[in-house]
Amino acid sequence: MLLMFFIIAAIMVILIFLFRNRMITKFIAVGYSIMHILLSLYCWSNSDATELRYFTFNSTGVLLLSILSVLAIPTIYHGFVYTRGDDLKKFNIYHAALITLMTFMSGAYLANGMTVLWIFVEATTLAVALLIYHDRTEIALEATWKYVFICSAGIALAYLGILFLGFIYGREDAASLTFSSLSVLINQANPMYLKIAFLFVLIGFSTKMGLFPMHTVTIDAHSVAPPPVSALISTTLMNVGFLAIYRVYTLFSSSPILPFMNNVLIFAGLLSLLVAAGYMLKAKHLKRMLAYSSLENMGLVAIATGVGGSGYYAALLLIVLHSFAKSSLFYQMGQLSRVLGTFRLDDCGNYMKLYPAGSLVLITGLISILAIPPSGLFISEFLIMKGLVFNNQWFVLITAIILLCFVIYAMSTRFMHIIFSNPRHYPEFTQSVKVRPVETVTQFILLGIVVIICFYQPQFLVDIINQSFSLLPR
Amino acid sequence: MIIYLIVFFAVTLIYFASAERLVTYVRLIGLQGLLLCGIAISELKDVNTANLLFIVAETLLFKTLLIPYLLSAIIGKSGVTKVHRQALPGFYLILFSIAALLLSVVLANSLINPFVNTIYMTIALYTLFTGLLLIVTHRLIISHLIGFLIVENAVFIFSLAVGSEMPMLINIGILLDIFVGVLILGFFGLRLKPHTNELTMLKD
Repeated sequence: MLLMFFIIAAIMVILIFLFRNRMITKFIAVGYSIMHILLSLYCWSNSDATELRYFTFNSTGVLLLSILSVLAIPTIYHGFVYTRGDDLKKFNIYHAALITLMTFMSGAYLANGMTVLWIFVEATTLAVALLIYHDRTEIALEATWKYVFICSAGIALAYLGILFLGFIYGREDAASLTFSSLSVLINQANPMYLKIAFLFVLIGFSTKMGLFPMHTVTIDAHSVAPPPVSALISTTLMNVGFLAIYRVYTLFSSSPILPFMNNVLIFAGLLSLLVAAGYMLKAKHLKRMLAYSSLENMGLVAIATGVGGSGYYAALLLIVLHSFAKSSLFYQMGQLSRVLGTFRLDDCGNYMKLYPAGSLVLITGLISILAIPPSGLFISEFLIMKGLVFNNQWFVLITAIILLCFVIYAMSTRFMHIIFSNPRHYPEFTQSVKVRPVETVTQFILLGIVVIICFYQPQFLVDIINQSFSLLPR
Repeated sequence: MIIYLIVFFAVTLIYFASAERLVTYVRLIGLQGLLLCGIAISELKDVNTANLLFIVAETLLFKTLLIPYLLSAIIGKSGVTKVHRQALPGFYLILFSIAALLLSVVLANSLINPFVNTIYMTIALYTLFTGLLLIVTHRLIISHLIGFLIVENAVFIFSLAVGSEMPMLINIGILLDIFVGVLILGFFGLRLKPHTNELTMLKD
């Protein structure tokens, strides 16, 4: 099945360039999203099966793959809307790159060895570069350059971490080993090697996860990327980075370096929160502010993982819900820019008068992303705080709460300004486009899921999250 | 033989810290490619012919010829010949480079492992630190590119450090890295800010 998925995806990309027809491209893109859903269902029904030697359908990978399946249809739909005015060549490149990106991310989720995972992560950089450069402007070129350069440098560092695993094993084929084969050897390894390998992997894959200190790469990419692409960069692509770090964390968790890894994750998480809060207070660009919000959420995920115990559940639930809430906000950004003609906060205003349905998405999205009840993210953040109290990590708890207050203040004042106030400056020329409220349906559905999960968590979700950290010490 | 090649490689790294002309950087990158080819051929005794050809193509074709050619094209287009926009004066860079060498020696010796060649480990760490130093202390795009290429060379040496074989999967990884390097150079390097060679637009 997986081989078929990769082959069909490749054929679809080739067909897009062969036919050069807008309708056929649309048909192929929709067909791909349906195929992706079928792949997720297949993985659910064949859990823990291995295919093509290098891929295993384990719970964490399947969970993240399912998130991508859920987001594939709205991303493709909003992509159709965004690229409506583009010429055929740009339209085709956009959709071919989108299919390629989603295929590479799927490969990364299901990879059962570090090197294969690394190859797919590196490959996502190339696909996403095409999407960031979609508008072909000078600023898009600069953002794409920064993204490709910093990601490649970071991923090269991650590869050094993987090679360090080879030093533990002592054989040159170590890089080809699966996570399960490596886990047997971990307890015999020199802890110093494990620490260095973990640090390399953490710093390297932080470029994808968007954690401090490599967060700048995704922030700049968001400034120029088309909003549906930002939705993917901020959610499913960050999940790829999280997964890579989480895999190594799980692998090393039975070794004596577990407390070291927890401390490093909490430190990186707190610094991410600090940077996010600081920059959100002076944010002038709406998409950059949302990108810093992703940094804040990934910081919380890192802290949750570092806390351990109930924190593992909180981290994975946060990953799921953040993906839905943040993607719906980014889809809304596409509509907002069509109505207001800008992303500059000073030029935005009166959104409620101009587009009430979009304003409602912004209000619901704001409540969801800030983890204010009835947002499901509240459950995650509550579990993180609970874990910190149980561990007596009062300094981390108080610092995190203070920084979260800054984030809440920064985001809510700016969103309220956009929705209810007049713009501070009127842009010189904006051509407002009428947006149909029906275009917000997918955003309301995703935000609805986030709210429902606050009150009811379906058993299949609880089970798959519990299975995802079953190898970790309780 | 290998030891001479490795020492020569380390000398090129020290030269990077003291050089100021971009053309020198390009020559050093080409020379490093050649040295890596020699080190790989001498070290990888158990490698099969296909893999060996692969490695020779990686080092000679890409690292020694194609990448220096593209770098020269970027320098020619930008007209920038000197690394005159450093965040740090050159003297301090040499000091940092020496400190990095010492740190690499200390780290490699504290990580002694029966499976790993300490000399490789030392040079790989030193290459990594030099690449990162260039990225952090220089402001020109082309210096960042060269720093990235040095980090790539560090990855290559690390992959040699573990044994007399280089499996295909590692080769694929390294090739992908090189492909990204060529893409960065060929596509972005030739288009981005050709006259100033600095990044300015994306700020908070």
